[in-house]
Amino acid sequence: METAMDVVITHDGRNWVIENDRLRLASPTLDELDVELARLMRARGMVKKGQVAKVFMGFDNATIPEWMRPFAQHYFNRVVEVRG
Amino acid sequence: MTSVNRKWYSGMATQEDWWAVYLGLFFFFLGLLSIAGVDLVGWAVYPTKWVFNVPEGGKGAISHAFYALGSKYSLTAKAFYKSLGWWSIIWTYVIFTIATCIGAASMKWDLKRFFIGWTIIYFLTIATWFIGHHAFFAANKTNWHQYGLNFALSLGGGASFILALIFGLIIGNFFKGFANYLSVAAKPEWYIKTAIVFLGVKVGYLPIKAAATSAKMGQQMASLTGHLFLAGAVATIVAYLIFWPGIYLIARKMFKLPRKTAAVLGSGISICGVSAAVATGGAVRAKPVVSIMVSALVVVWAVIELVVLPGFFTHIWPGTADPLVAGSAMGMAVKTDGADAAAGDLLDEFMRNKVTAETNGAVVWPEGVITTSAVMTKVWIDMFIGLWAFVLAMIWVYKIDRRPGETVQASEVWHRFPKFVLGYFAAWFIYLGIFFANGAGAPEGMHVLKAAKAGAVPVEKGFRKLFFMLTFMSLGIITDFSKLAEAKFGRMVWVYFVALFCFIIPVAIIIAYLFHHGMQIPNIAGQVAAG
Repeated sequence: METAMDVVITHDGRNWVIENDRLRLASPTLDELDVELARLMRARGMVKKGQVAKVFMGFDNATIPEWMRPFAQHYFNRVVEVRG
Repeated sequence: MTSVNRKWYSGMATQEDWWAVYLGLFFFFLGLLSIAGVDLVGWAVYPTKWVFNVPEGGKGAISHAFYALGSKYSLTAKAFYKSLGWWSIIWTYVIFTIATCIGAASMKWDLKRFFIGWTIIYFLTIATWFIGHHAFFAANKTNWHQYGLNFALSLGGGASFILALIFGLIIGNFFKGFANYLSVAAKPEWYIKTAIVFLGVKVGYLPIKAAATSAKMGQQMASLTGHLFLAGAVATIVAYLIFWPGIYLIARKMFKLPRKTAAVLGSGISICGVSAAVATGGAVRAKPVVSIMVSALVVVWAVIELVVLPGFFTHIWPGTADPLVAGSAMGMAVKTDGADAAAGDLLDEFMRNKVTAETNGAVVWPEGVITTSAVMTKVWIDMFIGLWAFVLAMIWVYKIDRRPGETVQASEVWHRFPKFVLGYFAAWFIYLGIFFANGAGAPEGMHVLKAAKAGAVPVEKGFRKLFFMLTFMSLGIITDFSKLAEAKFGRMVWVYFVALFCFIIPVAIIIAYLFHHGMQIPNIAGQVAAG
């Protein structure tokens, strides 16, 4: 299944933040973030009833301090399935 | 600007890890051209021991303190490289400045600041290399009389490493504004990963070097590096299946740390430092600040280990009786590639000088075998971090913090794979292939091996040592010991202390002993005497 949407995920010190040119969401936990995302996608009709949409969340490595990036260039990417 | 690893090739132009491969392999290929009779690397600068007053009939003139390696090893341009002398410092500076600035520009660093910082660090490094090769520091009792000395510290090239680290630490801890300015070019991970690619040339070249004594010795050396490769795999099992659960339990049961913090700390202390802390933090979906705190601790502790362990392993235990046990234990105990490879090379210098001094020159070990044992162990550990983080992510995402709809992608393994090891293995296997494809030391293939040597030595000796020196200097510059005093680390500092000295180091020594005890480094005293 192709991903329906790509977002960039970061952490601002308090919240996990996802955004792209169509949305921006922030929540203190990933659980709450996923619930918020599903609610918003359903509300905007981005996922229809009975459908499953895959959302790719690519971590923005610029969030990691510059001095650490040479040691490790990847934090994580995650894929979340949102059911309509 | 965002930086997301979306595709398999993401970051190929912008990550230090890839640029270590490009830089390392570029000079490796330049060196390889010597087989075709073209020597393009002979300008590599290298220091030699010196004294202010050369005794009659002795050696050590300051005018010869630096030379181009091609003046000794080139088959096609020896006279030209001989004429460079101290100018080889400038040749090396100009060529590496161009190469590193291309990398810095591609990685979108502040190029002007990098150039100035690189220039300062390079010449500080050269000055330190010079001081460290004063015969009082570097000569040992088999040759100190040649320099008119009755005593010398017998540290070999290790003195330069120690001085580079000390000078770097002075800048990093007492001139913090200056250190901050230099930080754009103080890149120990980039320099050491590049040096490790050069080390790949060394590992592949060792059988060629040994073949100069006899074909049998060349084959013994090829076999030894193969054994080190396999024995290094054991370290992976130790790091992941013994160290990690042990540290996790210490952090959870003794120090009552939260589960995610314990997991990140467990990886940072037991596997491969910062890269493991970041990989694990991501795998267990910890807030990035947890990995950041653990990483700050790791880099400072790694430098403390770098200072303490080479001397301990050389002079207390296991000493020259089991040098490869020491090297392998180093690879398991010292976190971060930079500190481990640097500690391994320091150990190499200390051990070789000690055995030569103890036996009055009857035993001489080739340079780099002990370093190889330390790095081989580490490379194995590094390679599996992606897989380990993948397994942890599966456990966390599907069992511990189960979230409906979330899946873990296999591409995470590749994104976390240390790319510089590709350069290391490529360089090693190509030189090893040249050795075996040309008779494995048999007389009919020796002319090719001699031509290969001319291009390999400036890379594996000159460039590798220079980049080790740059690593020591840069490590010092970016290490701020005051970070350890910052209260926010709290119990993590003590978990690290207890885990390292009461668990990691003793277990590393035991495991290294079990799998490396009795492995012998070939004695090349005859070759040294002849050559």
